[in-house]
Amino acid sequence: MLHLEHISLTQFRNYDKVSFGFPGRITAFCGPNGVGKTNILDAIYYLCFTRSYSGRTDSSSVRIDSAGFRIDGRWNRDGQHHSTVCILRESGKKEFQVDNESITRFSGHIGHYPAVMITPDDIELISGSSEERRRFIDTLLSQLYREYLEHLIRYGKLLTERNSLLKRMSEGVMNDSGLLDVLDEQLINHGNAIFLFRKNFSAEFISGTSQYYQNISGGNEKISISYRSVLTEHSFEQVLKTNRSKDLALQRTSSGVHRDDLEIFLGEFPFKMVASQGQRKSLLFALKLAEFETLKAMKGFSPLLLLDDIFEKLDEQRMMNLLHWVCEKNEGQVFLTDTHQERIRSIMNKFKIEYQLIILE
Amino acid sequence: MQFSSQLLESAVNAFAQLPGIGKKTALRLVLHLLKQENSQVEQFSETIASMRKNIRFCSMCFNISDTEICSICSNPSRKKEMICVVETIRDVIAIESTQQFNGVYHVLGGVISPLDGVGPDQLKIESLHNRVKTIPAEELIFALSPTIQGDTTIYYIQKKLQQDKLKITTIARGISFGGELEYADEMTLARSLQNRQPLEHYVSR
Ligand SMILES: [Zn+2]
Repeated sequence: MLHLEHISLTQFRNYDKVSFGFPGRITAFCGPNGVGKTNILDAIYYLCFTRSYSGRTDSSSVRIDSAGFRIDGRWNRDGQHHSTVCILRESGKKEFQVDNESITRFSGHIGHYPAVMITPDDIELISGSSEERRRFIDTLLSQLYREYLEHLIRYGKLLTERNSLLKRMSEGVMNDSGLLDVLDEQLINHGNAIFLFRKNFSAEFISGTSQYYQNISGGNEKISISYRSVLTEHSFEQVLKTNRSKDLALQRTSSGVHRDDLEIFLGEFPFKMVASQGQRKSLLFALKLAEFETLKAMKGFSPLLLLDDIFEKLDEQRMMNLLHWVCEKNEGQVFLTDTHQERIRSIMNKFKIEYQLIILE
Repeated sequence: MQFSSQLLESAVNAFAQLPGIGKKTALRLVLHLLKQENSQVEQFSETIASMRKNIRFCSMCFNISDTEICSICSNPSRKKEMICVVETIRDVIAIESTQQFNGVYHVLGGVISPLDGVGPDQLKIESLHNRVKTIPAEELIFALSPTIQGDTTIYYIQKKLQQDKLKITTIARGISFGGELEYADEMTLARSLQNRQPLEHYVSR
């Protein structure tokens, strides 16, 4: 069991000094747009991942006219008390302390305090390019398998080296096809490993996502998701060989696992083309809940769930289906934000569930 | 920083160009030199100028040398059939200080990285090739950075030198090489030289 009991923010975003206690499992933050609801969720995210969810730089998270910030979190994990503190010094140097000890490798902290966040911007995962979906899968797989992250980093570096070489070769310098062979061999090694990880993982993950989608949408919509990779049908070696002259002309590597995607259909049409906003949101939640379940299965306890403004543009039925899972089936700690107090109150009363409402003004 | 002397200012600026030396440290060094005798300082600057002017690179291994062939290559008790391939001269110094290596070196001058504009031709690969053939070498020990660029360099050279009799090994990983080797403690470095791996087991394939 993982429970954030208390958080205090100093000079973080729009807050000078503020703290909150979270005695219960479910906490809702309410207030008008711009009051800083998302900032609190992002601060919690900082405690779990040592960085912002939004991708904002640390320095841009310092309150105006201040120098440095501090986020203090007190936790209860399986009955043991822990603390995580993120400090941005005035010098711009970031420190992260776990149980009062500074850690040297931030990436080593990730996964110990797992959390899943959902924000309105995440809809890009559905509507955006394949890169968004790859990043989603990669982030999750990297949390599960350190080896995967290693392959991914090496693949990425080899790809940049290969693309540079293609460029130089087509410009007539560094004309060394032997060197290209050497880069290809290594790329194939890591590409194959990445493909296997993704293939094995996606089978179960896709069926989980589909199930969640059915639950949220009410069960009448037929979606199909599949993992698409050029390596499904061809060997990577063959792909690189066939494309070599094309790659030289393009000055980049045209095919490989860096072009993989999750292909999604609604009925017989591509999901992106035909899905309504409600359907898109449902699929986003389904993907995120599948992520949640995957992490939970691996960690043995529920990650934190951070839901930012998720009720907007979601019809009543989908909202109830989602909350049924979030509040009743899920056992982990939940933080959510909304602009409408009344909406939160009426929903929570329907579920007859204990929650804390924090009004921000 | 305000100076009453143009000469002082130029000297401070000259020191401040050195890596890791800021203006404050530079001033401290210059003031120290000012306290010394004229002849002492002259000897100091001459040492540096002479080092720069007269230093050479060994024509066998490209290590720093005072003579055409460096003291390691010309030492009769060192095994010429065992060549340790490194990126820079700093790596030679680090390995030498372990006193555990009795072969010779080959300084490549870097690692292959098209991204940084470094291709095989910019490195001392061709001369390594010739050396291996003429000696002939029995074992090549690679002590390169544990990076993509380091790996690429090793694989590239291995392909070029495909010979049945040549044994190719790499020293145990986990330490950074290519300039950073000097920070690895001598025990660790000595151990990784002893526990070197045949290339086949280098990266799981
Ligand atoms: Zn020499």
